[in-house]
Amino acid sequence: MENLKILLVDDEKEFVTTLAERLELRGLQARAALNGEDALHMIEADTPQIVILDVMMPGLGGLEVLKRIKAQHPQIAVILLTGRGSTKEGIEGMQLGAFDYLMKPINIDELIKKMQEAIQSQP
Amino acid sequence: MFGPKDNEVAFFGKITAGITHEINNVLAIIKESSGLLEDILAVTGEDAFPHKDKFETTLNRILGQIQRGVSITNNLNRFAHSPDHSPARVDLNEVAEQMVLLVTRFARLKNVGLETGPQDGPLIIKTHPVSLQMALFISIEIFLDLTTSGGIITLFPRKIQNKLVVGIHFESKTSDDADLFQPILSSNRWASLQETMAYLGGTAQADESASEILLYFTET
Repeated sequence: MENLKILLVDDEKEFVTTLAERLELRGLQARAALNGEDALHMIEADTPQIVILDVMMPGLGGLEVLKRIKAQHPQIAVILLTGRGSTKEGIEGMQLGAFDYLMKPINIDELIKKMQEAIQSQP
Repeated sequence: MFGPKDNEVAFFGKITAGITHEINNVLAIIKESSGLLEDILAVTGEDAFPHKDKFETTLNRILGQIQRGVSITNNLNRFAHSPDHSPARVDLNEVAEQMVLLVTRFARLKNVGLETGPQDGPLIIKTHPVSLQMALFISIEIFLDLTTSGGIITLFPRKIQNKLVVGIHFESKTSDDADLFQPILSSNRWASLQETMAYLGGTAQADESASEILLYFTET
């Protein structure tokens, strides 16, 4: 997992930078995007293997970003982050091709386990 | 068909749901930040940090409060979404459990415990969820208003002679509340409860011998 390219996408800067630091302490390098448009540009410039994507973002919402990722880069595994009480978006996301979803606040060990499962499921 | 009152409730629910989402984001940031401190502690030797154990204890305390906060926002979020669809099919057991979570604080202030009775399968009813919650809340408030010594209130949805019923039973701690039912039937809250139950197509009755308020519903 150490050479894994991870992109974190969330409009909450403190959340995404702290999560990136925690992943780094575990030997995982992650870049961060604060909105959907930037995320898509970053994906085109340097394609990650995994995208951790918040559903509720201003501007381009998470589900729309997911659709565009899957249209251009179907091989990227996307794990959605939803709010509590938002299982509807998580389920909709999986129907659109997300690997899975987690509800915030997340458990980092659970996130890493999901990332491992996502990588193992790739051909 | 939504009238002005329904629109008011829907507006209130929508705003509340939005705010709970914001609070949840704050909790997520606090959780990640305290998690980062835990991670750093884990790689810090005892010699480098003399107060490591106090730090760990405090971080555990923070984590406990985060979990408490998440539970509260979950409950509030579910409550905020109650007006989304009305009428709607609901499980009386789930509504009773939700009310216990939402109203426990009020009950605790009066030294009253709040719980649900045993369940025996789903009890589905098509009704107006907000008014149903109001009816349960008013029933609980009636006992909270009248008790002086505390006790336990049990919400017990069940079937009585094929009718869907929610029983709100009060067990007092002492015999000081023995004459509870006389004031109930003449209270403003009782009139308000009757009105709410009439809107729901049901009735409210007071069973003095069982120390219980019974809310009867039409099963649909």
